[in-house]
Amino acid sequence: MKVYVTGYGVISSIGVGEKESLRALKDGVSGIKRGSNNTTKDYNVGAIELTDNELIEKFELNTHGSRTALLGMIAVKQAFRGHQINEKIRTGLISGTSVGGMDISEVEYKKYLENDGHDPSRYKHHSSGATTREIAAEIGVTDFINTISTACSSAANAIMMGARMIRNGMIDRIIVGGTDALTSFTISGFRSLMILDEDWCRPFDETRKGLNLGEGAGYLVLESDRSLAVSGKEPVAELSGWSNASDAFHQTASSPEGHGAKISMMEALKVAGIAPSDIDYINAHGTATPNNDLSESQAIKSIFKDSIPPFSSTKSYTGHTLAASGGIEAVFAILALRNGLLYPNLNFENAIKETGLVPQTKFEDSLNIKHVLSNSFGFGGNNSSIILSAI
Amino acid sequence: MYYIHSIASISHQDSFRNDNVYESLTPITEESELITPNYKEFIPPTTLRRLSPVLRIGLAASIECKNEIQKEFDAIIVGTALGCLKDTEKFLTTILTTTSSVLSPTAFIQSTHNTIGGQISLGLKNHAYNMTHTQNSLSFEVSLLDAIMCIEEGKKNVLVGAADEKIDFLKTVQPGLVSNDYPLSSGGSFFSLSKEKNNSGIAIKALYSSFNPKELDNEIKSFLKGEGLELKEIDLILHSNSHKITEIEDIQCLDYLKYTGVHYSASAFAVHIAHDYLEAKNKKYSIVVNDMCKGSLGLILVAKYEA
Amino acid sequence: MSDLKEKLKAQIIKQLNLEDMNPEDIKDDAPLFGDGLGLDSIDALEFIVLLEQHYDIKIADPSEGKEVFQSVNSLAAYIEKNS
Repeated sequence: MKVYVTGYGVISSIGVGEKESLRALKDGVSGIKRGSNNTTKDYNVGAIELTDNELIEKFELNTHGSRTALLGMIAVKQAFRGHQINEKIRTGLISGTSVGGMDISEVEYKKYLENDGHDPSRYKHHSSGATTREIAAEIGVTDFINTISTACSSAANAIMMGARMIRNGMIDRIIVGGTDALTSFTISGFRSLMILDEDWCRPFDETRKGLNLGEGAGYLVLESDRSLAVSGKEPVAELSGWSNASDAFHQTASSPEGHGAKISMMEALKVAGIAPSDIDYINAHGTATPNNDLSESQAIKSIFKDSIPPFSSTKSYTGHTLAASGGIEAVFAILALRNGLLYPNLNFENAIKETGLVPQTKFEDSLNIKHVLSNSFGFGGNNSSIILSAI
Repeated sequence: MYYIHSIASISHQDSFRNDNVYESLTPITEESELITPNYKEFIPPTTLRRLSPVLRIGLAASIECKNEIQKEFDAIIVGTALGCLKDTEKFLTTILTTTSSVLSPTAFIQSTHNTIGGQISLGLKNHAYNMTHTQNSLSFEVSLLDAIMCIEEGKKNVLVGAADEKIDFLKTVQPGLVSNDYPLSSGGSFFSLSKEKNNSGIAIKALYSSFNPKELDNEIKSFLKGEGLELKEIDLILHSNSHKITEIEDIQCLDYLKYTGVHYSASAFAVHIAHDYLEAKNKKYSIVVNDMCKGSLGLILVAKYEA
Repeated sequence: MSDLKEKLKAQIIKQLNLEDMNPEDIKDDAPLFGDGLGLDSIDALEFIVLLEQHYDIKIADPSEGKEVFQSVNSLAAYIEKNS
């Protein structure tokens, strides 16, 4: 049974929606710059330059919630445009997030610690589950609502679970992806791990020092044949492969040979029923940390051997959007399929010595892109891969 | 039918390695502590030193489940509503109060929700599918749904469970939980599920979740009707206090929150109670009614089959 | 120097949560990472925090830490040198 994509929505530091994102991707314009508020001012981040209230106003949001939820609502609304809630189609939402409503909680908890106007009612936005409920309320989805929280692989896992629910006949149509906002909590957390780059990140480069954080949201609408017959929507892509595997090496570091990554990519290919040679582009996880990029490169080499397809990380455009990354990058993958594109791996100069792999460095279009592999690897050794294919 | 091949729970009941938790249930009080095993038996000191209560629960219970079946898991699925609260609170407090330019990373690393699942995969050296569902009071139910899909997709042995821990500040963060009649608590229950029938023959027969439930009695009746059953055929109803099921008739009922205390993963322990009840009393059906949060409903039908 | 080493051992136990250990359990020259105490990359970061918070010594690049954190001896020597 095929799983079709009939909608997609994205918001990130490079733009809102298809047109803005494509323009930035084509022009090589990164959204990463020095942060402009108290939380981000000491870092290079891929921030969305609108306050929460501006987001609510600009995108006419009815439900209020945490910033993570607001970003999610914007992307989900985009994806669901032209769809309708319909009794005949069981419709669900699975959203990945690592931050949840922490953007509100950390402000409130500070007031608590300083004894300064603490409002406990604000914590109702805190849990990751509450974030998804807020997004679901905005578009009126009630049949199935779930949150997956596996750090940076969350959105990819949400996409995978949605596909499986369709295949298992448990849902007809499902909105899947992820969202995360920038917070002091995560910025401080990555700072404590000493894996932030003070400059602009350099994925797959020998001199890479770490990542730049970003925020955003990306979602797909998946439908079964049965749902298509009722909704009448045109598929824009097929979600043909997916997989999740555990690296089981260390809580935060990936195994040097990329064991978990290798399993997840191989399994995704198997689910899609295609060979490595069928992949036209890999949108890598490519966070630009010394550890991930080496590990991922080794895994790619072991599968694709001498025929490594064009690959790049788009995180030097958007920053690392944590739980949202799999969703945002799935949308970029679909845009690549629809428009025959290859995205450059910005800020690359020298290949990693141990692997010699050179990513795609130019934007190209009018190509025949039929299958795109997208990787998302999270803390806890959680490795996920999805494959999107042209209709 | 998804047979329960092993169970391990760590709770405020004497539940770990207890063959009949149903028989020994004692009402929980504010003073009730978690009754924990000797974690050193399961977890090496270099790992154990970092682990908060919820991480210890998840890891030890999973190791116990695996030891009982002596097989590798083909999937590891964890439900947790609020994740690693202790480490979250610790890191948040540090970053909001420190004047130092360097930060200790351990609490941050441990604070992500999937640390439980990640530690289990590390502890069991397991490379299989590893998922963490965090849909508040239905985290366990969604995890079960995922486990069922895994088994339908051909996975032989699936570890599924849920765990949550309390911190004092939780009373402020989730006042809705406090309005229950029972104290806040911690706890976790883990199960090994398989399509293969085992000697005890106790299985998860059916599962239903609603994120916009209608009237409770009708939801339960409709769920059972779908399984060809009527309410009167149920031997034990395990329910969660906040709403009353009006048409109980003569069926035995048990308010499981009285024994688990209040935490979002409590329905997992309720399944453990159901399992032990059916086994000890040689009864046929038990249903877990998880409506601890308004607007969410989980129904789990546990059944005993002849071996 | 030996006072420093004793103090360091107590600080290490606290910073790294080595709950069941006493300072006497850590030998001056015992390898802290790998096969020794079995510490890992997270502990290496905790050492960096320890050095800054207790001794005002900043290590900007975690990979610099490898040599320094080999044993209590090497740590103590580094602290003496950079104080």
